[in-house]
Amino acid sequence: MKKRLLCALLALSLLTLPGCKRAPEPVEVTAFAMDTVIQLTAYDGNTGGTRAVLGGLTDRLAELDSQLSTTREDSFVYAVNHAGGEWVEVPDSAVLALLHDALSLCETTGGALDITAYPAVKAWGFTQEEHRVPSDSELAELAKKIDYTAVALSDWAGERHRGGAALPQGMEMDLGAVAKGFAGDLLAGEMRDVGITSALLDLGQSTIVAVGSKPGGKPWRIGVVDPAQPGSYFAVVELENCAMGTSGGYQRYFEQDGVTYWHILDPDTAAPARSGLASVTVVSPSALICDGLSTALFVMGLKDGAQFWRDHPELDFEAVFVTEAGEIYRTVGLEGRFSLAEGYEGREVVVLE
Amino acid sequence: MKTRVILFLLLAAVAASAAVLLFQGPKARAPVARITRDGVLLEEIDLDRVAEPRSFTLEDGSGTNTVQVERGRIRVSAADCPDQVCVKQGWISGGAVPIICLPHRLTIEIVDGGGDLDGAAG
Repeated sequence: MKKRLLCALLALSLLTLPGCKRAPEPVEVTAFAMDTVIQLTAYDGNTGGTRAVLGGLTDRLAELDSQLSTTREDSFVYAVNHAGGEWVEVPDSAVLALLHDALSLCETTGGALDITAYPAVKAWGFTQEEHRVPSDSELAELAKKIDYTAVALSDWAGERHRGGAALPQGMEMDLGAVAKGFAGDLLAGEMRDVGITSALLDLGQSTIVAVGSKPGGKPWRIGVVDPAQPGSYFAVVELENCAMGTSGGYQRYFEQDGVTYWHILDPDTAAPARSGLASVTVVSPSALICDGLSTALFVMGLKDGAQFWRDHPELDFEAVFVTEAGEIYRTVGLEGRFSLAEGYEGREVVVLE
Repeated sequence: MKTRVILFLLLAAVAASAAVLLFQGPKARAPVARITRDGVLLEEIDLDRVAEPRSFTLEDGSGTNTVQVERGRIRVSAADCPDQVCVKQGWISGGAVPIICLPHRLTIEIVDGGGDLDGAAG
């Protein structure tokens, strides 16, 4: 009897011998696309296979980038912007889906997100980093040209086999506010399809997508950058099969005569959006929603942004707002997933309901 | 007799577990700065072992970045890129926010900084 007990104990202790359990090694791939550094990290027993999959995904990213670039003369977006109002055939179904998603988000946000702000972005010099402040009359002219409802989209399968897009002469679009989110959803979907259950997709920090959880089953822990001190983070959000996106004035800006001008423009004025917010972080299963809404909510400001969150439960998102005064607001659905980072424990967080 | 053998084996297994746990124990984590260009590792610097502050310049076809290192921290002090995002970011010493010079495809990240974060958004 005693012997049996000991045997059982021995078997048990051998089973739990910690040396037998090894954390899977991460497979990491870095790619430069969509004007940013993209890092894909996947944990999987099958290292060789995973590396090949990630390599294929970065090729897909480069392809998408070449179709959506505003500056490459052979891109689809460039063609639409320079077609003088003529129809341009979309290169593939993914781009058509992206256009549909983007326009629908522009509509839902009442134009706070607008994919036709590119002429204004250029006028401020954010494309070539040759910054200038346009005059008021120039801005008024530019604001007139920002109107997503002027984008014509056709799924027509006739001559233009895959559908087409057109834009009136003088208007230009830029899918930069949604492209990374769209790419994140696309890549995460392809990872899940091949059976990768644990991965983190970092699309230039502004958009993060978590596939599954960490190898041990715990959620991914992602820091949220403090807009007042972009070198550190003020909060931690836990993600499991979820994405997050942040828009902040600190990400790209220039100063002139003591005034800071940032890259997030208000489609109504063609000037930097001064809504009182310094950054907005959106958490949602859809990276596209995170990407597009973080920009839109930044433009709306705290009051309208919070109301938008209340009015649109169907979009399935939560948000963290930081005002220019440094106040922190978060929506109630982040309960249990949001915590203040080290050094910020004393800060007050207002919970929006 | 057999019981003793089993007992011995049991003790050995438990001791082995304990040993593995002990050796795995809390790792002394030192912040290491990893500098990469286009995903290719250029240099790794153990920031705890930087005795004297120093600075060096990395140059390739796209331009130059001057990197400054002190004990526990690192920054890009000068660069000839148009946006100067890497210079504006200043010192980093840990956390999950890397320095990125997009025009030169250069990144400086801190690994094993003792933080428990998997990434950063912003």
